[in-house]
Amino acid sequence: MSKKIYEVVDKLPKGGLTVRALKSLDTFVPGQWDNLVGFDNTIKVVTGETDEAMIQAIGERAVALFNDKKQGYQTALWLYETVDSASGLLGTAALANRIGQDTFLGFLKNISPKPEQAQTIDLAVKLVTEVVAFCKISGIPGDSLGDFLTALGDYSSESLVRMAALVSFDGIIPLGAEFSTKALNAIKGMSPSDIESNQTFKGIKNEIPGNDSKGKLSFMTESFESTKGWMDTFVADKGITQSGLLDNLGGFIEGSRGKLDYLGAFLDMSVKYYEHTGTQTLARRLIERAVAEL
Amino acid sequence: MTLTRWLKRLAPLVLCLVLLVTACSSAPSRYDQVQKDTTGFRSPAAVDKKAEKGGTFNQFFPASQGDYQVIPYQEKKGFAEYKLQRGDTTVAMLTINDTISLPVAAEKYVDAAELVSGYPSVDQGTTATGLLVNGRYQVKVLSRDASFGKAERVDWLQKFDLQGLAQLQGKAVVQPKRSAANPITPSDTPVAKDATPAKPGFKLPKIQVPAPEPTLQPAG
Repeated sequence: MSKKIYEVVDKLPKGGLTVRALKSLDTFVPGQWDNLVGFDNTIKVVTGETDEAMIQAIGERAVALFNDKKQGYQTALWLYETVDSASGLLGTAALANRIGQDTFLGFLKNISPKPEQAQTIDLAVKLVTEVVAFCKISGIPGDSLGDFLTALGDYSSESLVRMAALVSFDGIIPLGAEFSTKALNAIKGMSPSDIESNQTFKGIKNEIPGNDSKGKLSFMTESFESTKGWMDTFVADKGITQSGLLDNLGGFIEGSRGKLDYLGAFLDMSVKYYEHTGTQTLARRLIERAVAEL
Repeated sequence: MTLTRWLKRLAPLVLCLVLLVTACSSAPSRYDQVQKDTTGFRSPAAVDKKAEKGGTFNQFFPASQGDYQVIPYQEKKGFAEYKLQRGDTTVAMLTINDTISLPVAAEKYVDAAELVSGYPSVDQGTTATGLLVNGRYQVKVLSRDASFGKAERVDWLQKFDLQGLAQLQGKAVVQPKRSAANPITPSDTPVAKDATPAKPGFKLPKIQVPAPEPTLQPAG
């Protein structure tokens, strides 16, 4: 049965690890993200509309658009949800039951850090997920990577904070300051069989452009290569550093300093930032479209 | 007396039952009906098959000018949207949509009292002003900043290439009434072009944009 978009948006958490982790990025992208939750509330904030009948009409059109599978919104939501849960799939089943209630120190006993190759593939798969989901949601003015790059330059609010989280939590923390160069070189040296066994890739591979794993890997490499410049400039402009990130995260994940590889794995399992901000981006664009079409 | 005693005994039971039932089902929402109507077998599509491609509308949007930047935002079947930015502030959204998917959107223009560039125009809610071209294509400007009011919306509506948009061949969804109070000059009268085609056989040129392989397929 189809998900109810108004319930999904209504159920977005106001607090918890994901929200706290995202808020820790406010130092680097100040004032960009205010954790907009609740379906009607999102309609009001996005459109500035106060008339209740109008809000109802906008909501109804948004629900209808979301429920029409051909519009791509359901796939986009699935992508954002799946890439988060698939990347957090490492660890034992017993551990999985403890997600959300675990502390970092308790977590250390139960898990080994993700190998660098797996972390690199995760980063590349998440990036390509953003490209594909963005196309599904916005239809992309044009339909190529070049157009996505133009749109990336215009990212704001929850979309921008998602990119900040990507370069921080999946790039700088596990792979270091040179994460983009390191990851690109690694991907270029990979064979299709390297990515086929990766959980994150397996989760969403059907939605990655390309006929087979070779084609998909090629698209991932191309996406990474195209966006590398944007990521490097973003990190430099915003002054995002490993120590800066640790200072902010240390506030609520005690004992994380000095155990960066574990912290990366911990964030992977406990922080669902793609799902959270992806749902917010989807809701915003859906509502923008709905109010215009009425 | 007996009745009162029974009621007193029954009250906690009824209360428990009510709590149990409400706890088991999710809270009712004002969107439950539309959810029911738009899901399941034979539910109607939200976008009509005959709707224009969103990309068709791109050429009719105004260009960036002065302090204002016009930035592409969304392009779906039957719909295109641009952001209007001044500095870092989004002041408005500019949109064109094909009302064939939602005829009720076109119907509100039938009795429109105002005209903008000769096309019926209405205000909607507190932040939007729209007009209808050819009884089908809706052009809207939606304010996103307090500094951008109705006068600015009407001003930007006139910056669209409305005459170009009127060349599209789509069949009218509604026939707007002519207003005696606001006579429309023949040159810019909104008419259904399929009834009296100005340029029979006229088609917009298809623009081929080179894209890397493999390409992405936008939804819709």
